[in-house]
Amino acid sequence: MTDLRNAGKYYWHYLKKYWRGFILSSLLIAFSTWCIVIAPTYLGRAVEELTTYLGQWTNPATRAQASLGSFNQTLIVYILLYVGDAVTIFGASLILARVTAYSTGTMRVGLFRKMQRMQVKYFDTHSDGDILARFTSDLDNIFNAMNQALLEVLLAVAQFIGLLIVMFNQNATMAWVTMASTPIALIIAALVMRKAGTAVNQQQDDIGQLNGYINEQITGQKVLITNGLQHDSLRGFRNYNNQVRKSALTGQIWSGILNPLMQGMSLLNTAIVIFFGSWLALNGSLSKGAALALVVVFVNYAQQYYQPIMSLTSLYSMIQLAITGARRIDEVRDQPDEINPTEGGQPDGIHHELMIDNVRFSYAPGKEILHGVTIKVQRGEMVALVGPTGSGKTTVMNLLNRFYDVDSGQITFDGTDIRTFDLKALRQNVGIVLQEPQLFTGTIADNIRYGEPTASMARVIDAAKQANIHDFIESLPDQYATRVSDEQSVFSAGQKQLMSIARTILTNPRLLILDEATSNVDTVTEAKIQAAMDNVIQGRTSFVIAHRLKTILNADKIVVLKDGAIIEQGNHEALLAENGFYAELYRNQMVFE
Amino acid sequence: MKVLMPYFKRYHVDVTVAMLSVIVLVFATLWQPRLLQVVMTAIIKNDQQTVFREGLLLLGLAALGIAGGIINTVYSARVALGVATDLRLDLYAKIQSFAYADVEKFSASNLVVRMTNDINQVQQIVMAGFQQITRIPLLFIGAFVLAIVTMPEQWWVIIVMMAIILLATWIAVRHMTTYFAETQQDIENVNTVTRENLMGIRVVKSFVQETNEINKFSAASDQLTTVTAKIGYWFSILMPIFFLTANLAVGVAVYLVGQNITTHPSYLAAITSFISYLMQILYAVINGGFLMTFASRAFISIGRIDEVLATKPSMTYVTSDDDKPLTGDISFEHVSFTYPGDSQPTLKDVSFQIAAGSMLGIVGATGSGKTTLAQLIARLYDPDSGQIKIGGVDVREIPEKALRSTVAYVLQRSTLFSGTISANLKQVRPDAQLNHMQWAANVAQASEFIERLPQTYDAPVEERSQNFSGGQKQRLAITRGVIANPEILILDDATSALDARSEKLVQEAMDRDLTSTTTVVIAEKIASIIRADQILVLDDGRLSGTGTHRELLQTNAIYQAIYQTQKAREEGEND
Repeated sequence: MTDLRNAGKYYWHYLKKYWRGFILSSLLIAFSTWCIVIAPTYLGRAVEELTTYLGQWTNPATRAQASLGSFNQTLIVYILLYVGDAVTIFGASLILARVTAYSTGTMRVGLFRKMQRMQVKYFDTHSDGDILARFTSDLDNIFNAMNQALLEVLLAVAQFIGLLIVMFNQNATMAWVTMASTPIALIIAALVMRKAGTAVNQQQDDIGQLNGYINEQITGQKVLITNGLQHDSLRGFRNYNNQVRKSALTGQIWSGILNPLMQGMSLLNTAIVIFFGSWLALNGSLSKGAALALVVVFVNYAQQYYQPIMSLTSLYSMIQLAITGARRIDEVRDQPDEINPTEGGQPDGIHHELMIDNVRFSYAPGKEILHGVTIKVQRGEMVALVGPTGSGKTTVMNLLNRFYDVDSGQITFDGTDIRTFDLKALRQNVGIVLQEPQLFTGTIADNIRYGEPTASMARVIDAAKQANIHDFIESLPDQYATRVSDEQSVFSAGQKQLMSIARTILTNPRLLILDEATSNVDTVTEAKIQAAMDNVIQGRTSFVIAHRLKTILNADKIVVLKDGAIIEQGNHEALLAENGFYAELYRNQMVFE
Repeated sequence: MKVLMPYFKRYHVDVTVAMLSVIVLVFATLWQPRLLQVVMTAIIKNDQQTVFREGLLLLGLAALGIAGGIINTVYSARVALGVATDLRLDLYAKIQSFAYADVEKFSASNLVVRMTNDINQVQQIVMAGFQQITRIPLLFIGAFVLAIVTMPEQWWVIIVMMAIILLATWIAVRHMTTYFAETQQDIENVNTVTRENLMGIRVVKSFVQETNEINKFSAASDQLTTVTAKIGYWFSILMPIFFLTANLAVGVAVYLVGQNITTHPSYLAAITSFISYLMQILYAVINGGFLMTFASRAFISIGRIDEVLATKPSMTYVTSDDDKPLTGDISFEHVSFTYPGDSQPTLKDVSFQIAAGSMLGIVGATGSGKTTLAQLIARLYDPDSGQIKIGGVDVREIPEKALRSTVAYVLQRSTLFSGTISANLKQVRPDAQLNHMQWAANVAQASEFIERLPQTYDAPVEERSQNFSGGQKQRLAITRGVIANPEILILDDATSALDARSEKLVQEAMDRDLTSTTTVVIAEKIASIIRADQILVLDDGRLSGTGTHRELLQTNAIYQAIYQTQKAREEGEND
């Protein structure tokens, strides 16, 4: 139920501005429905007139009076009604196609805008695949439902109402007869759909497990081959595969059975109507011609009667998916935005000192990661953060440009809490080189001037030179105009890191944070990256998160973090002399001979 | 389609029942208007008996329709799932027979898609096939024939109706196909921007590029919206045209009946059945069109499945169940190797030998061929030229089981499979007892954390072993590598997440407990291989030097360069 309410809220938000379109298309649909339900009565009348004509013509006494005039006129009205139906349905479809395309377009952009405003926490706690699925399959489900179901649902409802009105207008008895089987049909439909629901859920669960197994095994095929485990893998697969076969059979049968059942009910209903109608024609008070006409008309109605019910049941699963999709996207819309102070201050670099002042922080409540960390940095100093995985090094970076906010304590630039600064202005002052560099689809030049899209080519080249990547770019056939994307990169892991450094150099940040990415490159490439880093650090206040100590031996200050607290602090020589954790780490990483 | 034939044969009883029930269904659907006509005539003639009799027949027909429909669904589902399940099993068995190069040729994720989505497509089309595809042509032909039988003079009305419908469809489809292609491209663009922003959200935020990214996304999204709307417009026109044409045909038919009613008075009662047949023809055409687009997608899937099934494994083993391990001597003689699809060889004329029980270290820059060399020892690939021998036997002559029990290969990202720790270890050594597991875990320095787990060796392993840290994963992988006490143990950067102390302990334990095992260690850190009996220095696929650490420091420039980047600072040396 809450699903339905959330979905309602969601669709209301995005569809309310199309109210004119909905009203107009509803009117058009109402008119077309009127045409469709009224048309068979004209066909019936035409048959009736033809019967009269035939009767008159067969009788020599009245043959002279026999005329097809009124028959022809009735037929023309009949045809005009269908022309009216076609035109109005066309109009309604056009409007709804437009509404569907543009409203889902707005939903897509709305979701993306939201994504840009949300806190980094959301992205850290949800897998990329999960978020991407909201852009792809959830929006697709919504689009498909609107594209196919919207018109059909409106039509089905309108036709059902229209049909009831016309049937009762024609002949109440016959109308009741036509409707007699409805409760049975609805009960059957409800029962089958419930069965199908549980069976399909079971089927989806089993398919999920099978797919999980396939994915894990084939992704680990190297391990399977090198351990000679192919037969074991096949044996495990059989179990999952057979399980899917069993549950999918039940699922397919229950969900496939509804349509023939309803079709059968419709046929049964037609039979009942014929049966009863012809009995009425033979025994009732109506004239034979009128009775025959009534049967013709109601046979038509009986065949139409189950169509709305059938199309609604066949759309059921599609609508269900659209409701789930809306709920999932609505979840994202409910996520908190980043907190940005109104009229926040505009920081202008660091003039004297940056202070991390007794900062405590936790990603999840109750699991504190930083337990009161204090680091004081003078302008122009280079500070290295060292420590084992999970010690909180990267967390410090997350706090410095407010990807996350501290639980207590504060971070200040020249005494001003960074949370009082305008968020964008703060980030423009802080440059970050991330451990896993990300390139964007576009040219190399676009990627280097990513932070400042209007930067001149000369500045782009200058940044590339400082980052030691210019020569490589020049060696490419299209040089700076070479198109790159994150997936099919012309760059090796190390070169990607250099690109990311060039990108940061170009924006000339006052404070620099380097999450040193050298775990995936060999030590020779690492030396090259380090040279580029030295260029960018020159003259700036900087934090370097070090994984290999070789790169930070010259830091003004080395801060050793362990389990979220500072255990040692000082320069390389001082820490070695202390002969503590740092000294041990240093001896472990380096080769002594 | 030919691929599926043997599978259909396996289910020939189900196939036959499904087909027969379709015929029953079609019969029920088509006979109904005929019966109706008889009833109408009876009403006109005031023949109560006939009305009653035919009415009952009509009820029977409805019951037959329901029964036929249910039987058809059940048996179509049996065929569809039988075929899909068997096909999936054969496909999986085929993939398991592949050499690693074959897996790489398709890529793992691509194979997964074929195993899941493509098989699903096949299942759906088979299901739809036995429900609809046989039914639609039967309905179409049946309705067509019966319509003509009902009013032979009006055959041309049906033909004209169909011609108009087909013409309209052809024009619309021609326009829409270009739009469909455009949509695919637009969807891809939208997804690319989304994915990049998801992965690079920190970059976007720290460079304050939110607005530009929104603009980029909006542009891509608007293009998609416009094309989608255009497709929608074309669809909007199709359905009204179909129904208008059919209803015009009805109008014309009724008009003609009226004009000639004096010659064919019986046509009066035939009008409704004629209309029914016209509508059946229309629905058959519309459903046929939808199925055709559906089927064309399924045919692509069948083709993709067939491609895998038709692939011959690029590597074969000598047929023998011999699993007696060989000795751990390794020799390479002028080995060169090129990855399939590459133009440059990755290994060039590499020769060396190492005696059983000793330690071989391999160093070199990223991309120099270290992993490739190790993979050739495990025969993940065969060399282009040259010869690799294990225990004096060419690897191509060693039966698969014997090779696998001789060589254990531990990868850098060698995750365990979901299940339990012991299940993973027993995969490699089925007879493993607790003491074997403890022994192996001790060597890998894994026992200290395994024994702290509540269920120790029966502790669960989640998908991608994500309930273990990087260092724990590697130690578990090493445990699995050593449990069978292999003759040759390859550690491919397998200790990179271990701190130096643990790494040293692992090496000491291996020296102590795996005395007869030849260990091949690939490492970034010189410290990891400094004690090796022999070190290979690879440079761009060539063996640049070989020797012990001391020898190489004297003789090999590349080794010296690597060493320089890892060497302790001068003042540290005296530490």
